[in-house]
Amino acid sequence: MKNYLTIFLAITAIAFTSCEDDDNPVTVEQQIEVVAPATYSFERNGENTVSFSGQTTRIQMAEELVSAMLAFDTTTETTLLDMFSNENDPFALEALNTSDKSIKSKIAASTDYFSQNSATSSEIRAFFESQLNAQISEVFPNQMTAAAVGVAGQIADQESTRYVNAKGLEYDQITTLGLVGALMADQILNNYLSPAVLDPGTNIEDNNAGVLVEGKPYTDMEHKWDEAFGYVYGASPDAENANSTIGLDDSFMNKYIGRVDGDNDFAGIAQDIFNAFKLGRAAIVANDYDLRDAQAEILRIKLSEVIGVRSVYYLQQGKNALEAGNLGTAFHDLSEGYGFIYSLQFTRNPDTNAPYLSRQEVEGILSQFTAGNGLWEITPATLDLISTTIADRFDFTVAQAGSI
Amino acid sequence: MKKIFGIITIALFMYACGTDDTTITTDDSGTDNTGNFDRSAMLTNWADNIIVPGYVDFNEKVNTLESATAAFTANASDLTAVRAAWLDAYTTWQKVSMFEIGPAETVNLRLNVNIYPANITTIESNIDNGSYDFGLSSNRAAKGFPALDYLLYGLGADDAAILSVYNGTEGAAYQQYLNDVVADMKELTASVLSEWQGSYRATFIDNDGASATASTDRFVNDYIFYYEKFLRAGKMGIPGGVFSGNVELGNIEALYAGNLSKDLFLVGLDATQDFFNGKAYNTNAQGESLSSYLDELNAIKDGVDLSEIINSQFDVARASVSALGSFESELSQNPPTTFLEAYNEVQRLVPLLKVDMVSAMSISIDFADADGD
Repeated sequence: MKNYLTIFLAITAIAFTSCEDDDNPVTVEQQIEVVAPATYSFERNGENTVSFSGQTTRIQMAEELVSAMLAFDTTTETTLLDMFSNENDPFALEALNTSDKSIKSKIAASTDYFSQNSATSSEIRAFFESQLNAQISEVFPNQMTAAAVGVAGQIADQESTRYVNAKGLEYDQITTLGLVGALMADQILNNYLSPAVLDPGTNIEDNNAGVLVEGKPYTDMEHKWDEAFGYVYGASPDAENANSTIGLDDSFMNKYIGRVDGDNDFAGIAQDIFNAFKLGRAAIVANDYDLRDAQAEILRIKLSEVIGVRSVYYLQQGKNALEAGNLGTAFHDLSEGYGFIYSLQFTRNPDTNAPYLSRQEVEGILSQFTAGNGLWEITPATLDLISTTIADRFDFTVAQAGSI
Repeated sequence: MKKIFGIITIALFMYACGTDDTTITTDDSGTDNTGNFDRSAMLTNWADNIIVPGYVDFNEKVNTLESATAAFTANASDLTAVRAAWLDAYTTWQKVSMFEIGPAETVNLRLNVNIYPANITTIESNIDNGSYDFGLSSNRAAKGFPALDYLLYGLGADDAAILSVYNGTEGAAYQQYLNDVVADMKELTASVLSEWQGSYRATFIDNDGASATASTDRFVNDYIFYYEKFLRAGKMGIPGGVFSGNVELGNIEALYAGNLSKDLFLVGLDATQDFFNGKAYNTNAQGESLSSYLDELNAIKDGVDLSEIINSQFDVARASVSALGSFESELSQNPPTTFLEAYNEVQRLVPLLKVDMVSAMSISIDFADADGD
């Protein structure tokens, strides 16, 4: 990277030198280009300034929560709700029990979308809690029952066994993929990357002047940006080189960025996201807020795209499985699709500053998944229509997203 | 600037990698020559000389296993005969595992008789409860050959300890479970054989076109899927830690009996090569199959017949694996280098089959690697 800057400056210098005309002296404004470091590594006076422990904690909590949804032998009625709100020491990892953080408090909690909309926020939290309750009341008792139309139970999906409700939906998949939107995407795109959170009060002046958060090595603006980073890479074993393990580090946003990156039609998206995080953070250090916001815009587009692509992917894969008669596989794919579609309401289109699909549109689509006997009677035609509706809002086609 | 740098880097990288990129030439490349090959003769050879005789043999071995199990539970004094019957049936299973099409696919035969590692907790809990539904997919890891492996070799530290379980206070429950596992296998096997000996044979052979839903296309996909996933990955790749990075000794076949997984692998490898060459199940006669199809298409790679390249690689793979010690001993090495080198030879067949062979035959691969979510 250093060679780069040198070469660039050298070329710039040569260009200006060679163009200089002695008869007409011209004042040249030298622009210092902000270059992102090779790794997500930032220091002040030799001390690391990057911090996102709260995000790591919530990812760990979410992992335990979704695992517990299938732990038939140990999970009780209250376990899941306690994990959701972090009450009564429900976690195996003790550090989570003593934390003051919870998943619930950051569900549908972004400043941009929900600070004026507590009622909706409350509905969304209630939605998640209803998935958790239904898993215990409907699916757990039927663990050893074969699933059938109108009957919750288990169904084979190649070598795996899936546990579905009476309509063929897996509550654990809906929860997992719904969290990608309601927790991770919402907090990143509509909270931590937003000027409302980066620039309130004296944050800009403080960042310009190097005024740090009390007792910490970072400015508040630096920290907010790192918290956005943490919702993607918070579980990475090596945050500085987080992109080297993309897709492997959690069951949420990190995983699905990896999956989309593995599709030839979208190859490079993981690096684009990592680069935007790095450059935006470097821009903050360099006090270049326009550059910072340009990276935030890239992140809004790319991370929203991940949710859009996976929505269409699972609809198409589910459709293929239905047509091949593999119901277990279809139900699993479509349950994942349900979760991703639910997450669409938390995406952020920079052109409209609103989600790519509204909450109302999302609810309309999802009602087709639960109409009548649900997945037992949903048709390929319906799935194609929904796929097209979603793809039309983004910059990709059903064909591109529908398979890897 | 960064993009240009990136592009140059990628270009250099691709150039430096050199390639295995040689095109497969066939006769009249450009013309779909596949339409002229007599698929019907190949399908008939497959059904009548390989698949049905294979299932007949397997069905017999499962019946013998049933008798041996019944005799054992009547008088649980000696494990020798029932273990021998189990091994004979398990060995024969390796020869028919690849035929997961039609009847076997309908009943999910492979996933119902050979999911390993067995789930010991589920097995013990089933025995404890006394009632279990073997039709549930959550019970697949609690039955079949791997469950028998546990029940005949894993219940105690030595034979005396195992026998004392069968003769002990819960002996009746264990005996019942043993019989039920075998009964389940017998029912599935008999139904598959009966379909093949009934209407399915004609359905299979008559569907002799070149389309993606015709027998040839679908079976070639099943064959390659078996090789890649169940033979290569299931028996060697996963235990060897190729995908996860960690050696997983608990994932080998015949874990409790021990020292069998290499032999079972080789039986499977032989069966896969024999099928490739159209060798009859019961004799050395060779009929129409993938090898003769490739020769008819005059598929050539780097100046050599593709069928010959594939057969050579099968032989190299066999030699490498045969030269190993037991998989248990090989996988105790850290790192298990010789095991992984043998695995590499097994792996080399995958692109030959999954890319070169199907390209020559104008067949598309219809399976994707499982997403794992």
